[in-house]
Amino acid sequence: VWRSTCYGFDTVRCTVRCWRAHTAGTSLLSRCPSSRCRCRCRRVERVPLILITGRSYRSEPEREVYLQRPEERGGERCNLHGGRHDTVRRLHAAAWTNMMEEAASQLERDHVHSVYDKIAPYFNDSRYKAWPKYLHINEEVFKLGCDVCRPLVDFAWSQGHEVQMCDGLHLPYRDGCFDAVLSIAVIHHLSTKERRIRAIKEMARTLQVGGRIMIYVWAMEQKRRRFEKQDIFVPWNPNPHSPSGFKAEHPAPRRRAAAQSVTEAIDNTDKHRKVRSTSSVADEEDLSGTTPQQSTQRLWFFSRSLDSVFDFGSLSISRSSSRDLSTLSPPTGENEGNKASRRGRGQRLIKQVSSFFYPPSAIGSEEDVFDSVPGLNKGQNDPGGNNNATTTTNDNNNGPANQTVSVSLAQECGSLALPDLVPFQEHLKPSGDEGRGGLQGEEQQQSTRSPQGSEGQAEGSCLRYYHVFREGELAELIENHVEELHVKHTYFDHANWCVVAEKVQVWRI
Amino acid sequence: MKLLTHNMLTSHVKGVTKGYPLLIKATEVKVNEVDFNPQFVTRMIPKLEWSALVHAAEELGQRQDLPDELVPEYENNEEFLKKVHRVLLEVEVIEGCLRCPESGREFPISRGIPNMLLNEDEV
Repeated sequence: VWRSTCYGFDTVRCTVRCWRAHTAGTSLLSRCPSSRCRCRCRRVERVPLILITGRSYRSEPEREVYLQRPEERGGERCNLHGGRHDTVRRLHAAAWTNMMEEAASQLERDHVHSVYDKIAPYFNDSRYKAWPKYLHINEEVFKLGCDVCRPLVDFAWSQGHEVQMCDGLHLPYRDGCFDAVLSIAVIHHLSTKERRIRAIKEMARTLQVGGRIMIYVWAMEQKRRRFEKQDIFVPWNPNPHSPSGFKAEHPAPRRRAAAQSVTEAIDNTDKHRKVRSTSSVADEEDLSGTTPQQSTQRLWFFSRSLDSVFDFGSLSISRSSSRDLSTLSPPTGENEGNKASRRGRGQRLIKQVSSFFYPPSAIGSEEDVFDSVPGLNKGQNDPGGNNNATTTTNDNNNGPANQTVSVSLAQECGSLALPDLVPFQEHLKPSGDEGRGGLQGEEQQQSTRSPQGSEGQAEGSCLRYYHVFREGELAELIENHVEELHVKHTYFDHANWCVVAEKVQVWRI
Repeated sequence: MKLLTHNMLTSHVKGVTKGYPLLIKATEVKVNEVDFNPQFVTRMIPKLEWSALVHAAEELGQRQDLPDELVPEYENNEEFLKKVHRVLLEVEVIEGCLRCPESGREFPISRGIPNMLLNEDEV
């Protein structure tokens, strides 16, 4: 169901410290009006508003999304509050879904598939033994394994297993042909909730009624600490220290026991089992088993989830972010009405949005994150440009080209809610309370990651995207969204949440 | 890729309704020796699509005298079970491709591994 939100007023945004959007009644403020903002900021900017209206998609097969910018010229009536909004643009909902889907797969391609392809050769025996272990579980059972990563699949085949290359969202197996399915450390690499649900549904499809599925994912709650956020980029450490290597041995037998108990719980007759796994279990233990000395090498990059990037609940756009995007793409000097190239810009948008989602190449402390801001704001605080842009007598072509309002629809949407990226160093407190508070705030925050930093991965490391799961999150996901599965057990197993579920017959009236 | 695996695989190209069974075009086939386990074979037979298995074996020229229909009381028919065992587990396609019967899309098999990944436009 789409939400409908109408902002009758412009909001202003504090541009110095807190980056929060505040509702304002007057046209130009010099002081941050929010009582929550503790900063003594002097500079604020007007922020154009987004209005989205839509119809519930339950009633109609298609829905339309309207994006409106109040300061633009021309106009159609806003069907929510009757005020005159300037340009109403319609974007078919399917286009949004496609955009989101593309962004999600792009992210996974760059931060899961290609990383595993690169690091697969480094998977030596001690790290890798966990995966073959799943395939070695029970010789009486016919097992099929699958993965997207070619080198890993090759390795499994060389060990004598029947394996295929395939995508977890589109499994090439017929319905109901397996008695058991194992998904070890796979779901957490999918970048949106919707894709995670789809993957689970796909696996359930291949299960026979009465068959069981076991899913292992990384837990947010680790032994010594929690991840601060659920969506993270984890660097690949090619040189595991011996302590963690040693630790790897220990839990593996336990996991095997767990898997075997599942075997026994299921009918003893020979059966099919399907195994999917993308990372070695031993690898996961490395993370929880790091000693303090190793911690300085560990940099987790936190990010906003891709779901929230496309969440249009309550929004405000930052002009500077429009500028950020504009600098990435070819200068948008053209006027509005250039519909032909809009689609092309949509394509570019995917890259831009995704690239903003990626961790920057070098992150220091909070201060670094904000350092780039004054430079960007220079043009914006130019009174000539700023004032005019916000009133109805806006001149579309004022100031530098990238400040022009005539950015394409796609770019506008892309400039929403850029993810905030915080480096988290273990045993190091994040600096700047204010910044922290801002970043954890519910409002959409601006990433001050300037374009120069945001492209490409962190130097010298392969970053893997993970969505780590909270307690109960996976079970809830299955219970609420996958009706053909019924959760049987949930437990925590050494930094992983595990859920065992059974396929049930679903009756449709 | 063994024929037992092939029996489970289907084409999942977008829009395809009848993507099973996949047609096999093999350029390299290997026949290994695998330990015969009559219980395993007996229990596996009900899970198979028998006609698809026979068809696949025929495509590879390995059908020998496998019957069109399942033999009744096969649990005690060791000869029959041995034939099934051979076709299921001993015949392996190393190089070749799997073809979707409806769309014609070909999934390559290389080094014994079928690549069922779809392109973006097929999803």
